[in-house]
Amino acid sequence: MCIRSTIFSIVLLLTINFHAAALVIGSDEEEILIDANFVGQDLLVFGAFYADPSQPRDEKGDLLIEVVGPPEDIVLRKKKSFLGFWLNAYQVEFRDIPGFYYLSSTTEIDKEFLNLNNIGILKTKKSPEIDWSSLTINWGRVKSDKDKREFNEALIRTKNQENLYKEVSDEIELLDGNLFKTSIHIPNTVPVGKYDVNVYLIIDEKINKQYSYHFTVTRIGIEETIYNFAFKFPLIYGLISLAIAVITGWSGAEIFRRFKKS
Amino acid sequence: MSIYLPIAELSVNLFVLLSLGGAVGFLSGMFGLGGGFLMTPLLIFMGIPTNVAVATSANQIVASSISGTIGHWRQGLVDFKMGGVLLIGSFFGSILGIWIFKTLVSSGQIETVISILYFILLFSIGLLMLIESSQVIRDRIRKKTVKKKIHYHNWAHKLPFKVRFYKSKLYISIIPPIIIGFVIGVLSATMGIGGAFILIPAMIYFLGMPTSKVIGTSLFQIIFITAIVTLLHTTTTFAVDAVLAFFLIISSVIGAQIGVLAANKLRGEEIRALLAIIVLVVGVKIALDLLVPPEEIFNLSVLRVIF
Repeated sequence: MCIRSTIFSIVLLLTINFHAAALVIGSDEEEILIDANFVGQDLLVFGAFYADPSQPRDEKGDLLIEVVGPPEDIVLRKKKSFLGFWLNAYQVEFRDIPGFYYLSSTTEIDKEFLNLNNIGILKTKKSPEIDWSSLTINWGRVKSDKDKREFNEALIRTKNQENLYKEVSDEIELLDGNLFKTSIHIPNTVPVGKYDVNVYLIIDEKINKQYSYHFTVTRIGIEETIYNFAFKFPLIYGLISLAIAVITGWSGAEIFRRFKKS
Repeated sequence: MSIYLPIAELSVNLFVLLSLGGAVGFLSGMFGLGGGFLMTPLLIFMGIPTNVAVATSANQIVASSISGTIGHWRQGLVDFKMGGVLLIGSFFGSILGIWIFKTLVSSGQIETVISILYFILLFSIGLLMLIESSQVIRDRIRKKTVKKKIHYHNWAHKLPFKVRFYKSKLYISIIPPIIIGFVIGVLSATMGIGGAFILIPAMIYFLGMPTSKVIGTSLFQIIFITAIVTLLHTTTTFAVDAVLAFFLIISSVIGAQIGVLAANKLRGEEIRALLAIIVLVVGVKIALDLLVPPEEIFNLSVLRVIF
């Protein structure tokens, strides 16, 4: 509540004294811990924004909230029917695709604006020269522009199905015209790492104010320890797995042998 | 109650998992088979990724074959020398198998190839078992007794590098057992099976081993081949899920012991015919899954550092 009252006072201060656009945000999570029972969590993003005190809100100033997960390399495969069997026939590899991407706005934002400002799942590297061809490691046998576009659309669609990609324009709740609140669902399928939250205040088709912060997603618990151990010390992990198998197999047979005798 | 599998990266119902392990263990105890050929496809049906299902099955078979070997070993029915020769072949076979497996994973064909291999395997096993058991049932009805040959003499006896296997009362070339071991090694690494159902007939018909020593010796060699395959998987494909393996091992060891008890009380042929039908159904289901047009023809996977 302390943060909120601070925001209120800041907003008040700004509106009274400067009559200028302002954006202040706060959030309740700095670290999300994922354990075996994690079913997803809602990340609360709230704050205040002010375009111009003399205008009603819907005339001026839109909000855009972007959550960008850690980058990862992925393979997208397309199945094809071969003698009635569905086999993976084509594959395309992508580099530096955010493992999680969420874009929320107060109104529908047109594509042109997003492209211009490098906002979007494929634009998260804030560099104007980033485009599909540099994100793609290997197009494989996919050559035509039509097929490439199909893969681009499929990337968004498959990520969407895994709850790792979302674009919405009706989830930001506005209070009193100037305060906003939204909860962003972080599903249990998200990758671990650093997440960037970018909040933009858009006035007259331009980014007027930008506020960014980040949070981290960490996996914890015995399962995570096992996972890390398996990748860091594969031979020891294998030997332990074998030891468990040998001990359990042997003792199982022994216990039942004695049980049968008695 | 659900449990999270760290390598498979998903939660499964513990009760379902234990029932699966128990049921496969029961069948393997009853018929003296390892059960890997049922375990792997059933794990895949549960939603476990194919590579994890294959690698973890191998780990589970280590436990069930140790359990089985002990009994045979106590009765002196294990030919360690023959087992060792088979293992030489298996070792090299499993290295080739792991290489094939890794290539299939990185090219995205692992699911398809495993499905096709399992379909062929299960369909042929199921059909053979069904034919065999129905013949036994028919013969029993007609009150016929089948004469069995004790010893086979074939091309395996004409090759060089002959070695005497005292326990099996054989004097044969080591080339056929090495080749058989090699084939089993490849299959074990790629499919997550022990390969007893191929090994046992091969030992009887190609090597001419006495039937009494065959099961113990094959179980003995399966312990080591699956142990090698487990280690190769943990170090190269990172697909062995220790949590999954642990629960499968516990439930299958218990299931196997109950299966052994049940086998003594029930008549074999009818149950064998039933198992044959189960095997055929699983095989057909695998084939149908390949034929059904998918809802989403694209699929996404995150590249790991290793591939």
